[in-house]
Amino acid sequence: MNRVKIARIVLVVVISFIIFGPLSSLVIWSVAEKWYWPHLLPQQVGLFYWGKVFQGRMMQALQVGVLIACVVTALSLLMTVPLGYVLARFRVPFKAVVLLIFLLPQAFPQLPVFANATVYLYRANLGGKVPGVILIHMVGALVYAVWTMTAVFKSIPASLEEAAINLGASRIRTFWNISLPLATPGIIASALLIFLYSLDEFTGTLLVGSPFVLTLPVFMYNASQGYELPVASITALLLMIPGIILLLVLERYLKAEYLSSFGRI
Amino acid sequence: MKRARETLWLVVAVPSLAIVVWLFFLPFIRSAVTSFQTKDGAWTFQNYVTAYRLYAGDVLYTIFVSAVSLTAVLIIGILVSGFARIYGGGVVEFLFKIPLFVPFVVVGHAMRVFLAPHGLLNSALAQIGLVNLDNPPSIAFSWVGISVALAWKNMALAILLILGAFESVGDTFLEAARNFGAGWFRQVKDVLLPMSLTSIAVAAVLIFTSMLASFSIPMMIGSGKGAQMLMIDVYYRIVYQYDYGVANALGVVSYITAMGAAVYYLRSVTKG
Repeated sequence: MNRVKIARIVLVVVISFIIFGPLSSLVIWSVAEKWYWPHLLPQQVGLFYWGKVFQGRMMQALQVGVLIACVVTALSLLMTVPLGYVLARFRVPFKAVVLLIFLLPQAFPQLPVFANATVYLYRANLGGKVPGVILIHMVGALVYAVWTMTAVFKSIPASLEEAAINLGASRIRTFWNISLPLATPGIIASALLIFLYSLDEFTGTLLVGSPFVLTLPVFMYNASQGYELPVASITALLLMIPGIILLLVLERYLKAEYLSSFGRI
Repeated sequence: MKRARETLWLVVAVPSLAIVVWLFFLPFIRSAVTSFQTKDGAWTFQNYVTAYRLYAGDVLYTIFVSAVSLTAVLIIGILVSGFARIYGGGVVEFLFKIPLFVPFVVVGHAMRVFLAPHGLLNSALAQIGLVNLDNPPSIAFSWVGISVALAWKNMALAILLILGAFESVGDTFLEAARNFGAGWFRQVKDVLLPMSLTSIAVAAVLIFTSMLASFSIPMMIGSGKGAQMLMIDVYYRIVYQYDYGVANALGVVSYITAMGAAVYYLRSVTKG
């Protein structure tokens, strides 16, 4: 068994290097005020750029991004909690077709489709505006939410609802008092992942919003292309915070079924 | 009762369906149709001829980069998942969940500054004399950089899916193998792997299509010179040349490449 222990330690060290190596260069760049090669570390370290970033357009991008993410999360939940319940419980017409439509965006490349969706949004006078960006985020968010909500409601035993109905509760009362409270942990978990998806979304925001609507990922892209590496690195670190918090807090609640489709969108 | 149920179905399904149809299904059809049209709307194959002439190499390049990353992801994913399944995951499993929560753009940027000619990796390697900084290898701006970044980001998903499949293999099989003297590698190769081949194939398909369709990572880390990933070509064709015909022809090529994978995925999802 001792060999296993050694193997584990070696594995953890190697993996830590692979995972944290690239991330640590973000931290170093974020405090680098002067850094020329061949020096391994910056010659001058300080928080100059942190102060600069928090005064500039980054704050605006942060606010817009958080606003969009909140709206996207609220709307997605409002639409998919009832839909997921119906899909999980009832036999309804055209169910297979509806499910297929909600599968398509998972299976095909997003960018060429979103580029054409941008044409529709501009025709509807929504291009370059916050509502347009919200709508394009809704596509990915809805697809993800429909599948997880259906899974959440399927995991609740139907017998609990039947018991309530047998005791005289109406369908609606059963949903409010029995199904919804039982589904709450699953709903919260997927709400957080939807929020995170919207906050991190790049492709749709760049196509629909640019150059008028700026969220953090697009702001970071612009900074990085302009070789403002400290600014871009600070923004990158800020973008990572919500995800890391989510990982630490929710680690044990995030089941593979919620995460597997999340990793792709 | 049946009437009420159908009304409810309509009310709850229509809003989200409308958004996905309007902004995914219809644009999808539009991109396929306009790929056969000139700017004036006449029918033509010219877009595909142009796409083939200019971008055939990029299509192969994209498939090559994705295939290399996928191979790396699968090999590491199977070995790490096998280790975690037999000896317990613990810290290893937790560490590998981190990339799942790091946004794509951040991965692109982090890899760019990490792997740049005078980035952290080369500087660190130079300290121990492995790299000459006067003539440093440029990993970041070549295909290797994109492959590494894609593999890094997708590793978490691969381990999540593969480990999930490994967990569902009963302990008795592993005990039986151990009784015959199989070490951990033999247990992975001869027991775990053959018994979860379908799930691994599905995972491979998912990851491969997502690599083919990757946009933000090559945007962040790419060089703008030489061969490009397919999605970058589509984007530049639209943004700089406003040429939806050729861009959509390239889009259709990407759909077809993903299609074989998609059919397989749809079949396994609707079955399960």
